[in-house]
Amino acid sequence: MSLHKVIIDADPGVDDAAAILMALASPEIEVLGLTIVAGNVALEHSVANACKLIGLSGRLDVPVHAGAGGPLLRDQVYGTYARIGSFDDTLVKPGSVVPAKENAIQFIVRSARAAIAVGEQITLCAIGPMTNIALALIQHPDVARGIRQIVAMGGAFTALGHRTPWAEFNIYADPHAADIVLQSGVPVVLMPLDVTFQALFTTDHFERFRAGGEAGAALYTLFSTFDRSDEQRFGRPGGPIHDAMTIAWLVRPDLFTSRETFVGVQVTGLTKGYTYADFYKKLDRSANATVVTDVDETGFIELLIERIARHGDTAPDRKTQGVSRA
Amino acid sequence: MNPIPIIVDCDPGIDDTIALLAAFVSPELNILGITPVCGNQPLERTVRNALQVCELGGRTDIPVYAGCFRPMLREPIHGQFHGSTGLGHTTLPEPKKTVETMSAVDFLLEAFGAAAEKGERITLCCLGPLTNVAVALRMKPQLVDGIERIVMMGGAYREPGNRTMTSEFNVLADPHAAHVVFSSGVPIVALALDATHQVMLRPEHVAEFFRVSGRISETLAALMAFWDRNDVRRYGSRGGPLHDPLVIAYLLAPDLFQTEKAHIFVEYESELCMGQTIADWYGKSGQAPNADIVTKVDADGVIALFLERLGRYAEKAAA
Repeated sequence: MSLHKVIIDADPGVDDAAAILMALASPEIEVLGLTIVAGNVALEHSVANACKLIGLSGRLDVPVHAGAGGPLLRDQVYGTYARIGSFDDTLVKPGSVVPAKENAIQFIVRSARAAIAVGEQITLCAIGPMTNIALALIQHPDVARGIRQIVAMGGAFTALGHRTPWAEFNIYADPHAADIVLQSGVPVVLMPLDVTFQALFTTDHFERFRAGGEAGAALYTLFSTFDRSDEQRFGRPGGPIHDAMTIAWLVRPDLFTSRETFVGVQVTGLTKGYTYADFYKKLDRSANATVVTDVDETGFIELLIERIARHGDTAPDRKTQGVSRA
Repeated sequence: MNPIPIIVDCDPGIDDTIALLAAFVSPELNILGITPVCGNQPLERTVRNALQVCELGGRTDIPVYAGCFRPMLREPIHGQFHGSTGLGHTTLPEPKKTVETMSAVDFLLEAFGAAAEKGERITLCCLGPLTNVAVALRMKPQLVDGIERIVMMGGAYREPGNRTMTSEFNVLADPHAAHVVFSSGVPIVALALDATHQVMLRPEHVAEFFRVSGRISETLAALMAFWDRNDVRRYGSRGGPLHDPLVIAYLLAPDLFQTEKAHIFVEYESELCMGQTIADWYGKSGQAPNADIVTKVDADGVIALFLERLGRYAEKAAA
């Protein structure tokens, strides 16, 4: 039985791929659809990559919706590995999945309204710039009521930034959208670099992804090809898989420690994309976010590896999960 | 001659109402839809007012689509000269006409998307904050191919602001949306305070409108009388500036207007100058012009045009 009905708003992206494949293999999560945004790579590439991932997983019942092709106001920036573009066919084999006709923002609006109608709110996992979600929230006052929570990978507090000295990429790429989301009144769970940097995956871990059939093999290839380690910064080997933590938080919240606090975003100037958390109550603002501060590193790593391995499980009940729903 | 297909994005509003009533009786214009937005009044009110104005004007055939309920980033602000309902002291009957199920943004996506596919273009008339248009453009940038041009009321260039020292209401209400629109590449005709303050609707005009406008005369004159700013120091006379109707006048009689080309910028970061519009009249920015800014208006010609148009409500007793 699914505990969470989830839309994954993503910009795949290598660590998005891990998050999406993890969610698709987790019975606690019913993935209603993927809504895609420009971010790590340009929209045409992130959409193509999302379609490939759905094809690999065999979960053809999960629709892919293309969304915003750029940030609300600032100039477009791409991820460090933007040169990936579309996943090369030698890394991730091509499939037959094509995006749905409905726009990502319209899909979010429709899903939120349907959730209100049946009295069961949905969760948004935001693992790219938050442009699509902001555009949905601006249009209709009822959309927020259909959303139980937004679990977002974004921000950096004590960890400092990774795209600029101050800013984490997803927030930096569209600070105005992040500001809209954080001020929307929807409960936000924020997975900042402070916590994503705590779990480092090494080549031994990547090797174990290969147990997960074609999807696991593709993930192994992607992580082996695009090295995310930074020994100077982390003080030890290995690299983070940021986005997958949002899915892990839904599956195993007991692996994490968090604090309720007010979070603000700097939207202009040199430090745009900088996020601040009012941990010590210096501002007269009530909490708008649950900031995740610590993770059980081994617990998270083993959970991700175990879920990816399920893609290698050929038992028909998993492969057909969700199809009967469609 | 084929009528010009237009969509009217607005926030009625007294001056929006006058603009709509004039457009309703102008066969040169084919109004495909009206898309009210949060602006002079909260969305619920601008939608309701649009429905009522359609009924008043006898144009219940025009669909009304509800737009965005808030600006992109800023807290909503509302107009100061429209009374508590947005229509002064005027109370119109409870509308029987209902708003469409489709949202304004989805309608803009569909209408401009379909036009672009057919190689056609629709003119977008913007009488309020630009939130609907900006959201649609961000959702689907290819929409620009279906837009002939945007004829907008908003901004203040050589003229100071009307809501703050620097800023005109429509742009101040959603300066981020204005930035999206100005940087979209869509050709823009800008009717700013520089133009609208040249066309004062004075008490003697109101009397004439009352005389000529047949079955809508009482409502129209009441709205117009409410519009009087009674601020001779600022405007040089009694009366109120005919802001939004100039968009319709421009479409019907462009010869009454003189324009200059310039690149428009909008301030959306400074609190002091939030919503200020800046025109690069003398090529200081290195940016090619993105707008035709109206600099001079034949005010008598515009008043005569509207007297003639709104006079049609006397002829069209059946409408």
